[in-house]
Amino acid sequence: MSAALARRPHRTIASPSRRSLLLGAGLLPLTLAGCGSDPTISDDPDELVMWYWDRSASPKLLEEATAQIPGTQRTLRADVIGTSFDTKLRTSLAGDAYIPDITYINSNNALYFTNEDQFLDLSEFGADSVKDDFYEWKWDLGKTPTGRFCFFPLDIGPTGYFFRQDIFEEAGLPSTPEDVSAAITTWEEWIALGTELREAADAYLVNDAQNIFEGFLNSSPERYFDTDDKPLYLQPDSAVRQAWDTTVAAIEAGVSAKIPRDRGTDQNAAWASGRTAGNIGAAWWTQVLEESAPDTAGTWRLASQPVRPGNNGGSFAALPHTCKDPEAALAFITWINSPQNQAAAYQDVQLFPSTPASFESLSYSGDFYGDQNPLEFFSTAAESVPSSFISTWETMISGTFTLEITNVETSGKDPQRAWEDAVAQSEKVLTKRGITT
Amino acid sequence: MSTAAPARETAPSTGPPAARDPRAKRKKKLREILPLYAAISPFYLLFAIFGLFPILFSIVLSFTNWDGMGDVSFVGLAQYQYLVTDGRFWNAVGNTFIIWFLSTIPMLSLAMVIAFLLHQNIRFTKFYRVAFFLPNVTSMVAMAIVFGSVFSDTFGLVNSALTALGIDTVPWLSSSWGIKITISIMVIWRFTGYNAIIYLAGLQSIPIDMYDAAKVDGANLWQVFSRITVPMMRPIILFTVITSTIGGLSLFTEPQVLLGDSGGAGEAGMTIVLYQYNQAFTQFDFGYGSAIAWALFLIAAVFSIINWRLVSGRGDDTVRRSARKKEARR
Repeated sequence: MSAALARRPHRTIASPSRRSLLLGAGLLPLTLAGCGSDPTISDDPDELVMWYWDRSASPKLLEEATAQIPGTQRTLRADVIGTSFDTKLRTSLAGDAYIPDITYINSNNALYFTNEDQFLDLSEFGADSVKDDFYEWKWDLGKTPTGRFCFFPLDIGPTGYFFRQDIFEEAGLPSTPEDVSAAITTWEEWIALGTELREAADAYLVNDAQNIFEGFLNSSPERYFDTDDKPLYLQPDSAVRQAWDTTVAAIEAGVSAKIPRDRGTDQNAAWASGRTAGNIGAAWWTQVLEESAPDTAGTWRLASQPVRPGNNGGSFAALPHTCKDPEAALAFITWINSPQNQAAAYQDVQLFPSTPASFESLSYSGDFYGDQNPLEFFSTAAESVPSSFISTWETMISGTFTLEITNVETSGKDPQRAWEDAVAQSEKVLTKRGITT
Repeated sequence: MSTAAPARETAPSTGPPAARDPRAKRKKKLREILPLYAAISPFYLLFAIFGLFPILFSIVLSFTNWDGMGDVSFVGLAQYQYLVTDGRFWNAVGNTFIIWFLSTIPMLSLAMVIAFLLHQNIRFTKFYRVAFFLPNVTSMVAMAIVFGSVFSDTFGLVNSALTALGIDTVPWLSSSWGIKITISIMVIWRFTGYNAIIYLAGLQSIPIDMYDAAKVDGANLWQVFSRITVPMMRPIILFTVITSTIGGLSLFTEPQVLLGDSGGAGEAGMTIVLYQYNQAFTQFDFGYGSAIAWALFLIAAVFSIINWRLVSGRGDDTVRRSARKKEARR
């Protein structure tokens, strides 16, 4: 049968179609090779291309800039890049082709520090003139270890302790936001409160140990490395070690429900059913909670997290070195992140503003948190988030520590052995990547 | 990577009667052949660019240290040296084999039974065929959500049923064995129907007179199944064993959608390909990711050779032997 099929085309193709077919086949590699020559993605000199992901910018504002970027002669083309954003951006930068003029980068901007020459220093184009509009700690997170300001602040994720007021009240514990905040000023007090909660209401403070470990570190001025990329976590009283010990104490006190993060369905069920009566969450988690546990509306409240609030998440904007018009691109970034426009973006897609002045024009009208205003709570919390430094190397080893603390929690691994394993694995990875010898 | 088998070339047909002059003949033949090659060239061009080049480039990458963006530095065999001592890699190898073992044997046995039953004269055969094949084309993300809910430790259907029966609950998604069994059940659920359809096609090609002869000889259903069906199906069984081996060694989607990029508690659901993905695309360590890929290639090659040895010759032997036995009996 295959011979019959093969014979048929060689009779019918012997006409102009054969030539065009050959031409098409011959041109294919040429067209593919030809694309690589231009590093920017758009040939139109008046068009700046921006890469972002869904819900990281207000569609209304983007539409405005598509007509004309305010204060410039350029127009904007905003491309939504789907999943694997980092892989796609890195690929275009590595291939020196199809590079956008403006790109958004998630809270993992430290990943790009080792290749910071791929991005422009925004200070050179006058970005510092709006510095005072922003939370200082967020602005600092946009600086590379060499002091270049490559990552412009978008939104932020100040954190607090979410809790179920009704369950706390039934258990005879402090239950108003003020009382709970006052009762949990240290992590020891927080764990003690959790023990009482277990005894009185058989409910847990949080779902998993990772939430405590990261909640602690996100509120700490010191993290895994210092700004010279020297490891700090090996020192006996380092912040990482303190976070570890605090989490182990919480696990031993039994205040976490032992439902790790990879089991999202279980976590949501625990919050919806009241088995877990709290979570250390960022401002954006209000949205998540409202969608995953709608039946619990009105029972949740927010208390200040032990010691001080932290930051979890929040994105940045950067200009790749091939940007056609850095002045216009920076004009766009500063315009879309002005206090007024950030307030608009909050109302549009719930991006939590990184400019304190935005909150003057914002009001909250929901009742998911009873009479408490989460906007006011988190904008106050944002004032006291400490400045910190996230190293590129942290992104390579932090997973080892959260994996091991989860082992302690779910399989009862000896905490000391788990710590030693995490340290040994980190050393191995860092040596392999050529960071330590 | 090991599964990519280029389509077989169709041999150009012999054209009209050959001309006398050999040079003209060659030219004429070339003119005949050229359009055929042009017709199949798009596949080869696209394969060369998107298949062959990445495969070859990953060999180069496995000898480098590269974050996918900055400078590429050659490190010789360092990635492979690290691989040999990397406990996480060997954990992934162990997980992959355990899950492969836990899923393949029940899956193929079940598929054979289903195919055998579908082959009988029962009503609604077409409905059953579609029903059994349906899991194979179901969206994996939807499946992960359903399985996540069914096997949930505290709120799941399975544990609720166990509690109702007075049996202790099982931490399906937080214990090492629970995770492996859950992933295996996912694989079984997804591929049993697919293998059953292949077996069914094999069953339909067994000559009916062999069954008639067995009936005349007074064989019962089990004897028919074990003495005729299984030996005659041997080549098809080996085919499904090979595809299940390759599929099992490159298991990725099920653990990834069920447990995320980190492989669940204690990395109990971390498979080789998931670890490779994790290293290359979440840690941006492309050199090491490539080294893992080539280690997997070696493992898959060893198993392919074993499978190939099993297929070549032995399948025919068995049929011949059973035929000879029958002859002797007669």
